[in-house]
Amino acid sequence: MTDTAIKTARGFHTAELDLLSVLEVVIARSPKVLKNGLPNLAFFRAANAALHEPDDEADGVGFVQVEFWLTLARNLELLANADGQLVVTPEADQFFAISSGERLLRLRETWLAATELNEFALTPELELPALKKGRTVDVTSDVPVADRILEARRLLVDVVSSLDAEITLAQLLRRLEREHRNLFVNHDDDSSWRHTYYRGIRERGGREDVERDGSWQLVEGAVLRLMCTLPLARLGWIDYDPQSDVITPAGEGGLTEPSFEVVVQPNFEVVALGDRPDPSALWKLARFTTPRPEGRVRTYVLERKPFADALGRGEPAAGLVDFLAGLSRSPIPQNVRFSLDDWATLSERIKIWPDALLIEAEGVEELAKVVPEKLLQALQPTQLAGGHYAVPAPDPGVLRENLPPRRAVLDYSRRLAPVINPTEGTDLLAPREELHLRARQLLALVSHSRSTDRYELDAELVTLSSQAIGGEELLRRLREGLSRPLSSALSLAIRTWAGEFPRPYAGGAEVLLAENREQAELLDEMPEFRRWVDRRLAPGVFLLRPNGTIELRKLLEGLGIELRKDARGR
Amino acid sequence: MKFHLHVGVIETVDETTLNEVLAVADCTERVLARLAPNLAVLEREDCEKVITALEGNGLHPKVMR
Repeated sequence: MTDTAIKTARGFHTAELDLLSVLEVVIARSPKVLKNGLPNLAFFRAANAALHEPDDEADGVGFVQVEFWLTLARNLELLANADGQLVVTPEADQFFAISSGERLLRLRETWLAATELNEFALTPELELPALKKGRTVDVTSDVPVADRILEARRLLVDVVSSLDAEITLAQLLRRLEREHRNLFVNHDDDSSWRHTYYRGIRERGGREDVERDGSWQLVEGAVLRLMCTLPLARLGWIDYDPQSDVITPAGEGGLTEPSFEVVVQPNFEVVALGDRPDPSALWKLARFTTPRPEGRVRTYVLERKPFADALGRGEPAAGLVDFLAGLSRSPIPQNVRFSLDDWATLSERIKIWPDALLIEAEGVEELAKVVPEKLLQALQPTQLAGGHYAVPAPDPGVLRENLPPRRAVLDYSRRLAPVINPTEGTDLLAPREELHLRARQLLALVSHSRSTDRYELDAELVTLSSQAIGGEELLRRLREGLSRPLSSALSLAIRTWAGEFPRPYAGGAEVLLAENREQAELLDEMPEFRRWVDRRLAPGVFLLRPNGTIELRKLLEGLGIELRKDARGR
Repeated sequence: MKFHLHVGVIETVDETTLNEVLAVADCTERVLARLAPNLAVLEREDCEKVITALEGNGLHPKVMR
């Protein structure tokens, strides 16, 4: 391999490690995604600190490299926004499983096609008041739109690929100004008064747009300098030496061989040593540890949660331990090995599919015999207790293709059809074939089974359930679960059992009836009268306490008022 | 055979563990079905609640996403 080829290969290797570092910071921090679609500032700072040569935030350069790698990672779908957080995806596992050469090609293709990336916006020397939120360009500005940027990238790649000898970056920029002056902005009509300025493009800190005359190197030159030093140099098209400012065309000869080892320490830290670590191996390590890419030495901390998460993704515990042992020259410390075994055992005690396809075996059905082989092959579900199967919810298309004919899928992300039919009495009818789990839960809360499809409402169960989940919630579920509204009689019964209504009373009672409002008010003002009143039922109608009739009769007779013997006539 | 899509499924090593898991997350009453003594089906949101509660208590179940 020639010296240039070695340099180019090492350049790409460093670039891969930078991309890896950005992804490791995502794993370690799970940063929140802000309204503008980008992660927060703390993430940018941490990711920048993890790069091989961090940008200097204080110089106003910002986080050009982090933004660049983040865009490529998003476009490659290595990262995704899940519930407002940035997370790595299974595609990232596939990406790091392919060879370094294939990764290089995919990164190059992605950059060449990245419409979200505008190198004008990344260039630290420029400010773009014309660039709006979401990186859309103002129509009256000279900031090139995405298509023009894509064309310029391809042309630039062609130019540097055709270089046959070393050239300084300054020389290359002069050549580009001479031969491709209109690369980003059309200068054919610069003499017109309309094209005196680069509209919407300013020098950093400048108060006015840059004048076109004599500023090509200041504007296009700055952007091209960034393109040469970041994508072209990092993705192996050229070798760029910042000290001598010399560009060398990329040499043929392949990629660097990894050379590194890890040391597993008794404090659960795994330290990666060596100047050419293998990005694939480090990624695998990062997926079951908490990576700490910041600082000069890459460290990975073995912790229970990421280890359990890796098991959940289908990695066998023994495989992870063997992988770790394979990277380490010395044996894994005994306490670490014991802990890893222990974590694996404890995790296996509780298995959770938070969003699953459950294939339920009904009755004595043996699913292994009735589920089509095609479905088992496609989904590879896990067999559960009772012979049921579970698998993380598959893509609807995959499920549709492999589902047996005439089989319906009950989708619990939607409202399911009400399948319980109330009758005139306290019986409920629910055909077994149509019963979904929500209906079954409801039936278990309010009834007991009488036969295959028939259930009977149970007052005691309704009372217990309403105490457990709340009467209002139980009634809401009933309303949603029944195919038609309850009859008045059943509604009264259930709402009373659920405690919404107090139990009604029927029987003898002592009441006092006043014949008009004023009479009632005068009575109510008498403390001796009120002592014997339990409550006022209606205007002029008083429910009395026990023995109230006798006592009030005495009280009113003391006033010379004799009580009537019957209530008729009111 | 019935296909239930987008449900949460919890399987534990035994019934006692399942009862404890559900109690930790206060989801005992929210179980859609107990298909076996150590197997519960829940709504997805309740299942996420269980995971959060378990992790908050230092337990890290095997989560298949």
